[in-house]
Amino acid sequence: MTTLLEFKQVSKQYGADTRALSNVNFTVKQGEFVSIIGPSGAGKSTLLRCINRMIDASGGEIMFEDSNIMGLNKRGLKQLRSQIGMVFQHYNLVDRLSVIENVLHGRLGYKSTLEGVLGLYSKEEKRRAYTILKTLGLEEQIYKRCDQLSGGQKQRVGIARALVQDPKMLLCDEPIASLDPNASIIIMNHLRDICTTMGITVIVNLHQVEVALKYSDRILGVNKGSVIYDGPPAGIKREQLTRIYGSEIEEHIGELEKQHAG
Amino acid sequence: MKSLEGLTTIHDKDAERERIDARLKAKPFNKQSLVIRLTLLGLILLTVYGFATFDYKEIDFFNAILSALDTVKTMFFLPRLSHITFLDALTQVSITLALAFLTTLFGGIIALFLGLLAARNLTNPRLSAVIKAGVSFIRAVPTVLWVLIFAIAAGLGSVAAVIGMTFHSISYLVKAYSESFEELDDGVIEALKSSGASWWQIVFQAVIPSSATYLISWTFMRFEINFAVAVAMGAAAGAGGIGYDMFMASSFYYDVREIGMITYFILAFAVILEVIASRIKKKIRV
Repeated sequence: MTTLLEFKQVSKQYGADTRALSNVNFTVKQGEFVSIIGPSGAGKSTLLRCINRMIDASGGEIMFEDSNIMGLNKRGLKQLRSQIGMVFQHYNLVDRLSVIENVLHGRLGYKSTLEGVLGLYSKEEKRRAYTILKTLGLEEQIYKRCDQLSGGQKQRVGIARALVQDPKMLLCDEPIASLDPNASIIIMNHLRDICTTMGITVIVNLHQVEVALKYSDRILGVNKGSVIYDGPPAGIKREQLTRIYGSEIEEHIGELEKQHAG
Repeated sequence: MKSLEGLTTIHDKDAERERIDARLKAKPFNKQSLVIRLTLLGLILLTVYGFATFDYKEIDFFNAILSALDTVKTMFFLPRLSHITFLDALTQVSITLALAFLTTLFGGIIALFLGLLAARNLTNPRLSAVIKAGVSFIRAVPTVLWVLIFAIAAGLGSVAAVIGMTFHSISYLVKAYSESFEELDDGVIEALKSSGASWWQIVFQAVIPSSATYLISWTFMRFEINFAVAVAMGAAAGAGGIGYDMFMASSFYYDVREIGMITYFILAFAVILEVIASRIKKKIRV
């Protein structure tokens, strides 16, 4: 498998003395399912947003498909972002618009400004949006307004919006943190499915260690802006969790042992 | 347990209870309440002094009130058009309405773009602060004064009225619009940005659809204000319309009954506007 994304000595500084990321190195191969775990404020979100430059890293190199994205101009950035889908904890949909309109927003990156402003989408794009919504089990809701949907449905719309971009990579920022357990399972299964069947690389920020271990090909453990652990889920034991989570460890170990027992 | 007993014994003592009651009743006498009392006292004294020293010009106060009420009675119970016909009045009201519509339209279009630039979540903070400071200065000066200021260049009349009223409408709507835009969740903007959408695309696909109902209700609000201002402008700035007829009826012909009729006209139109506005708002807010 080819390397899709590579971080080389990436760091991010907020203000004078807040260091969100320090010398982060890792690579992600095409088609991998990678979970980033770590305590709150460890820099998970910053790390994820550096990939599509929603946040600009202050140092190092980020290679996406062998080109350094740090030096992209406005046009290049638009191109990069249209190839990377993003899914959010709070779904971030336009509540007053219908499901299909929200999904088609994913195509804006491919459109000229005028087409996007007027909302002119081709038949092909609409068909694609419909197919994706159908696979995610939302064909009944297509013309519903987004504020009438449940949390799990909203998140599926969010995923559909990312998928309609035909992305090479999907970034998910705490996709299940606001969902109930059943909806969480549905969303995680969809993400895993997208990775396996469509071959799209998925990077997920997660709070739930057991979910990360269950679904991922690889785990990145982050603490205080550094990558502490980079390896397969099987390598995560009590000792590694202690290093990743520090004092917050107890609850997570409980979860881990429950899982091993069951 | 012991402390609870202590508490009940204290409450049983009459003296102690009285002391607590006294403390609860007494309003704390501090500098603030002193200032309030002094101000009220000053106002009362000024009122009494004013009434005592008015130059009444030999008008009997009581009779004056009676005759004023009589005038009001004639105005509103015996309304009649004498110098203009019903059709004239209708034409003049529609001119006033047109003045209000035109200024709201101009103001709305310009304010939409300025409002986008003034919304903190859509532009850089400095530009937003500059625009907001500018419009709050314009808003602080009343519409009538702006019309008179523009009358220096354009001469008294409809041109000055349109420019002045548009000016004030812009400042009012920029504030209203930009605050509606700021209501939008930052996450939505982030989501569209992360899919590669440009600023204009985000504005038209997310920001305006999300705030459309606010925009419409603020615009109608301003339209109603502009209607009232347009009536006044007819009289004060010679902008034409029903306001001018009212001005003529009152200070040229001294025709109280015609003033009453024109007032009813304006009232009827204001009510119709209100009804239409609420109908449209209801339709949109599905």
